[in-house]
Amino acid sequence: MAGTELEILKGITLEIKSGESVAIVGASGSGKSTLLGLLAGLDEASGGRVVIGDTDLGELDEDGRALFRGRHVGFVFQSFQLLPALTALENVMLPLELQRQARAGAQAEAFLQRVGLGPRMSHYPRQLSGGEQQRVAIARAFAAHPSILFADEPTGNLDTGTGGHIIDLLFELNREEGTTLVLVTHDAQLADRCERRICLEAGAVVEA
Amino acid sequence: MSVTASKMLARDWRGGELGVLLLALVLAVGVVSGISAFATRLQHALTQESHRFLAADLVVRSSRELPQAWLQRAQQLGVSHGLTLVFPSMVYAGDDSMQLVSVKAVSAAYPLRGELTYSEQPFGAVLPAAAGPGRGQVWLESRLFPLLGVAIGDRVAIGEAEFTVTAAARSEPDQAASFGGYGPRVLMHYDDIPATGVVQPGSRVEYRQLYAAPPALLQSFRQWLQPQLGDGQRLLDVNEGQPGIGSALRRAERFLLLAGSLGVVLAGVAIALAARRFSERHNDYVAIMKSLGATSARVNRLYGGSLLLLGAVATAIGCLLGWAIQAVFFALFGDQLPVQPGPSGPRPYAIGAATALTCLLCFAWPPLRRLALASPLRVLRRDTPLENRRTLGDYALGLVAVALLMWAYSRDWQLTLAVLAGLAITVVLGLALALTLLRGGRLVGMRAGSIWRLALAGLQRRGTSNAMQVVIFAMAIMLLLVLVLVRTSLIDEWQTQLPPGTPNHFMINIGPEDVQRVDQFLRAQDVASEALYPMIRGRIMAVNGEELPASDDPEDSRRQRESNFTWSDTLPAGNRLFAGQWWSPQTDQAVVSVEREFAERLGIAVGDTVHFLVGSQPLQARVANLRELDWQSMRPNFFLIFPPRLLADYPATFMTSFYLAPGDKPFLNRFIRTFPTVTVIEMDVVVEQIRSIVQQVSAAIELVLAVILAAGSLVLVAGVQASVDARMHESAILRALGARRGLVLGGLFIEFATLGLFAGLLATVAAELSVYMLQEWVMDMRYTPSPWVWPLGIGAGMVLIGGLGVFSCRKVVSSPPVALLREL
Repeated sequence: MAGTELEILKGITLEIKSGESVAIVGASGSGKSTLLGLLAGLDEASGGRVVIGDTDLGELDEDGRALFRGRHVGFVFQSFQLLPALTALENVMLPLELQRQARAGAQAEAFLQRVGLGPRMSHYPRQLSGGEQQRVAIARAFAAHPSILFADEPTGNLDTGTGGHIIDLLFELNREEGTTLVLVTHDAQLADRCERRICLEAGAVVEA
Repeated sequence: MSVTASKMLARDWRGGELGVLLLALVLAVGVVSGISAFATRLQHALTQESHRFLAADLVVRSSRELPQAWLQRAQQLGVSHGLTLVFPSMVYAGDDSMQLVSVKAVSAAYPLRGELTYSEQPFGAVLPAAAGPGRGQVWLESRLFPLLGVAIGDRVAIGEAEFTVTAAARSEPDQAASFGGYGPRVLMHYDDIPATGVVQPGSRVEYRQLYAAPPALLQSFRQWLQPQLGDGQRLLDVNEGQPGIGSALRRAERFLLLAGSLGVVLAGVAIALAARRFSERHNDYVAIMKSLGATSARVNRLYGGSLLLLGAVATAIGCLLGWAIQAVFFALFGDQLPVQPGPSGPRPYAIGAATALTCLLCFAWPPLRRLALASPLRVLRRDTPLENRRTLGDYALGLVAVALLMWAYSRDWQLTLAVLAGLAITVVLGLALALTLLRGGRLVGMRAGSIWRLALAGLQRRGTSNAMQVVIFAMAIMLLLVLVLVRTSLIDEWQTQLPPGTPNHFMINIGPEDVQRVDQFLRAQDVASEALYPMIRGRIMAVNGEELPASDDPEDSRRQRESNFTWSDTLPAGNRLFAGQWWSPQTDQAVVSVEREFAERLGIAVGDTVHFLVGSQPLQARVANLRELDWQSMRPNFFLIFPPRLLADYPATFMTSFYLAPGDKPFLNRFIRTFPTVTVIEMDVVVEQIRSIVQQVSAAIELVLAVILAAGSLVLVAGVQASVDARMHESAILRALGARRGLVLGGLFIEFATLGLFAGLLATVAAELSVYMLQEWVMDMRYTPSPWVWPLGIGAGMVLIGGLGVFSCRKVVSSPPVALLREL
């Protein structure tokens, strides 16, 4: 396809207020994950700007964005993305240690207690069920007190019952921490629980 | 973060991901430190042993008296010193009993190294002596007692001096070195020489000054001494003390260094492969850490830290392994060592640690360094491309590291180049052949059954990476074959040099009238002997009518000289024709066959006419051919051989060599009583010493070979593992689609065995080339092709790699496909 450029996202202008919860919905291939990657500073946009607070992500290099993510961003992924080499506690401690926080252990323990995994802190990811792994991931995401949390299909790998519990937990913590929540999903019910909904189709916003 | 690093390492270890990496590092360190320590200690022991053969650390030899000033200088420096003088003389007991003997006069300090032994009665119990005979005393060799009809306490005369016989002389450490002196030994004190009056200027004598000192002191003394040496004064050291042992040791050392270098290369390849797989598997982890805020510097520190930690653990275990390797060897063979192995010091282990660091830096770090470039986007999309492409720089770094390690270790550019050339051939030929053949294989496979089609399609789909894999397998197999080939020819050569039953006694001065009786006597006692060779003492006078200079200095190469002639119609066993033709039997032509080196010294070529003097009769012969022979064979060897008819009218005595088992020694007494005029020279102690050293060195070589084989297997395992993930993924899909166990495993076996076939073929070609270069240039050996290596190389390649491949992928038929697909 020489000479043809593939445009994945076009003309998206979007403002998310601090503390707001937003769902990005759309069919498979509509560009949801790409948008999430850009918003979270995991990817670089070929054009346009992403500004979080006072920071223009486009002006940062990859290491700069990494530092920014560490300080301001939390993630919850569809496939949990826990490090298999570390226990539940160590996984939650990881972002705190990366920021050289002094009381990483105590803080991580407190969050694991809050997600109901107090008794399983020393277990490795493979010793935990899917729901438990996602709870560890949620504890990890909130432990560093991020100002904005990105969740990519957080219930995608879970059965409905477990998924429901996870979502309750996510929203509960979100409320308590006052975090901005950006959530990608194609689950309409889940999207309904957010204050706002952005619908993507072929890379363009069709409904906001 | 270091806590995280160690946690990650521990976890990866439990998960089996670090196994090959750690093992390869441990082996590299173990091989290097083990061989270094072993070689250092063995070298020390064998140097000591060789010094024993000289009875000193350093010897100056001359046919004229040596300067007193040298001894004084040694005295000033604190270098121990001694003197010996060997000369032929008659010894008299009473009026009618006399015997030609080889007298050795020794100073009080003799020997400086090794052990002098005596017995209180002839053939009695052997005892170590603190020093040689005192003033006015002599020790006689046991068989002289019956020959002279004397007993301990009797008086004998040498020249104008009389001596009391106080003991039987049994052995001297430097016996072999003065092999030239025929006749039974008489030991006397050095200071008694003037009283005898038999040693006059021009006598056939050999003076020796003996020196011994710690290495550094000896070295400085040697440096002072060397420029002082005049004509006919020669410095002898370890290697010259015993040429047979010297060359065996040099080759063994070369072999060990070669083995060590190959071990490091193999371990390096295994490390690179394992590190690459490790880095591929860690891409996702790095993506997670980066999404959580880790910078590239942080990731580098984490993995760099892990690597250093791994290196430290591997170095510690590797040094232990190295220590164990040399300790096992010395424990097994220590009893046979005539001297205690010296300390190895910390140096071998420092070399081991340096090797670990180099391996990590040049082989393991490049793929891990690229982990920091992994995109955090992989947490959202697993299909984000991996940053694991190897750059030209990585390969160059690896190559330079291999060359430097090999050189640093062997200090031998020729050896390094020979192996690198073999590796280069493997790589270039390998890639070309593998790509072509794998493509051809697909065409054949299209018409084959489903299992073959599956396998060959798999091979072709990953053409480039398969070609790489073939090259890596071929490199490992090649290096192993090189080692096996060199080891086999080395040990073969040693064994043919001194096979069991090698003659260990010589018999000379057999009169023509005794020839038949001696032969019968030997047969009757079941003693295996070589043929009886006639021996005629003659003098070589002129070449092509031009007179050679008359000189008695043994250091002048081109001079008139005495030599032993023999006659034969056939080329004697152990001799090889180098130039010219052997004569037809019963010829009456005046021709002669000359030993090659002897001919070179005298400037003789085929076709030249040489003039001899036998007794007072002149003899003239044309050089028909030049021969090469093996001086270590312990057979009677001659510089000059004539056709029988030419020498028929000259007076001859006969000689032979024979083998006598240690328990059959009393045979000598019976023999000497029956044939008092025949001289027997006992070489059994020397032969035994050479053999025991060769055995120890051979055993060491086998041990080292086993360790290197382990390193080679590790490369094969790492190579197979490198592609297991992709192959498992495909096989899991096939399983999900309902493929039978046999089809999946059979396909995998064919796929891996085909790779093994190509690798084995390549490896064999490259190994033969490498061995040719190594043997001709480095090991000073003759190259002979080894046909058996072809089926071995190819067969081992197919079976090992096919088997390992199926073994590594066995999970694919025992686990549910869904679980596998999720995991991969």
